[in-house]
Amino acid sequence: MASSARSSGAAAALLRRRPNVCASCRTTQFLRPYSVAAEAQATAEAHHLKPTQSEPHVPFTVSRKAEYRIRSGIILSRAPLLTRPLTPFENSFFFYQKRLNERLTTEFRHSMFFKKDTAADLDWRIKLEERGGLVAKELGRYYAKGRNAWNDELLVGSTLSDENRIRETLLKDAELRVTEDGEKAKPDEIVPVEKPQPRITESDKKNDVQKLDRKLDQTLYLVVKRPGGEWQFPADDMSTEENLHQAAQRILDAAAGPNMNTWIVGRVPVAHHVVQPTFEDSSLVTKGVKTFFLKGRIMAGQADLKESTLGYREFKWLTKDELKELMPEPYFKSVRNMMADR
Amino acid sequence: MASRLPTALPRRPTTSTLSTFNTLAPQTTSSSIIPTLQQTQTRNATLIKRPKRPYAFTQVIQLSDGSTYTMRTCSPHSLYKSTKDTRNHVMWNPSEKSLKNVEVDEAGKLAAFRGRYGRGWDAESVVTPEEAAAEAKAAAAAGGKGGDAKKDDKAAAAAASFEDKFDSSYDPLGDLISSYADNDANVAKPKKK
Repeated sequence: MASSARSSGAAAALLRRRPNVCASCRTTQFLRPYSVAAEAQATAEAHHLKPTQSEPHVPFTVSRKAEYRIRSGIILSRAPLLTRPLTPFENSFFFYQKRLNERLTTEFRHSMFFKKDTAADLDWRIKLEERGGLVAKELGRYYAKGRNAWNDELLVGSTLSDENRIRETLLKDAELRVTEDGEKAKPDEIVPVEKPQPRITESDKKNDVQKLDRKLDQTLYLVVKRPGGEWQFPADDMSTEENLHQAAQRILDAAAGPNMNTWIVGRVPVAHHVVQPTFEDSSLVTKGVKTFFLKGRIMAGQADLKESTLGYREFKWLTKDELKELMPEPYFKSVRNMMADR
Repeated sequence: MASRLPTALPRRPTTSTLSTFNTLAPQTTSSSIIPTLQQTQTRNATLIKRPKRPYAFTQVIQLSDGSTYTMRTCSPHSLYKSTKDTRNHVMWNPSEKSLKNVEVDEAGKLAAFRGRYGRGWDAESVVTPEEAAAEAKAAAAAGGKGGDAKKDDKAAAAAASFEDKFDSSYDPLGDLISSYADNDANVAKPKKK
């Protein structure tokens, strides 16, 4: 205990002699004399120091401006077109709530909605009879005022609460059961209601990643690739004459053509990616790159890379999960926080 | 008044008094204290009536572009098809050309109206002064090289007539009344018997 107190005192004295150590290092770090070199190396790595530097400069960006190139990029996304499918738990929860509601609401008075002896009235009566006198259409054989009203929970494995089944039941119920003459329609006279389009589109089945009508309940992002390069968002060097958002618009037009109705959401970058410069004997070998990404939305149209002046030859519209697999890890890490969960 | 005093009202035992009895007072003495407490039940919750709600069905809503969702409603119909909503309204679809206000005259009713009453009732097409001037210049150029001065005159006249027309005092209805159909070239003259 005494020795550790002594050595910490020595370390504090050592740190006090070096005024450029940052506050967090001074308070939390414990410097031993024999590990100073290793410590310095760790600091240099953490602060991306040059070989000649021993401590990070205080105005970090200003003094090293010349070592980085600034690039502007755009993350063009297509918003989800559908809401997500419900989970089995949500389905059964809503189903339970509906059955509970059956017990608590007032009864349905059909004379308020249907005039007596009209076609609509007959239609309602036919359907009601088929349901066994149950007013609710999608809740199964549950009599809320009956003797077994307490038995409102579904058993494990029941498919009654499935949202697809509920939708199909309702659409079946929407069929008109009365002919134009006001009589009960025969089975071959019933015209089925047109089914809504499925969530899974043709492009989903083919896994056509260039189409915009895939993964309708998720956001899609435009990624492009140069021959032999890596998949990334469209980006290019900036001139000193233009702003980030102007450059982003120019890059979008240059990379993916004008055949898109797009909207750049703001002038503030939503993500940035830094590639550190490399040094050899205190001389700069390659410049670092700082890429700032702006956010854009596509409303209509499609990317066309035939006229691309930035050298991109391939493009894909991908979801966040697919981007994670496709992109290099550091690149994805720097942009993932701007992406929504779905 | 005296009977309304708080001491005369039945008092409910509170948990704090009960706990003091249990912990502090020995069992033998508590039997002499407990009969003084008056325990009455209150059912204030039963006085609040459950609100009556109308019966609710589940309904499928189909928007004009075919997308559907379900909702709870009083309507006993299972399917509601919307004819006008955000999916086919021009305010929400500014780039959709098919939704723009285009004159559809399949039955020829508009043409018949114009044949009878002229074009005085048409909506004004928006023409800027620059366009009017450019049009006049083009017309002058097509007419031949009669003289540059004339060309400029014509352009100026066109611009002036444009200003005339869209002057604040310009009144299309008044114009229609003052120049009635009989001196309009488009109007079929009534046959004289």
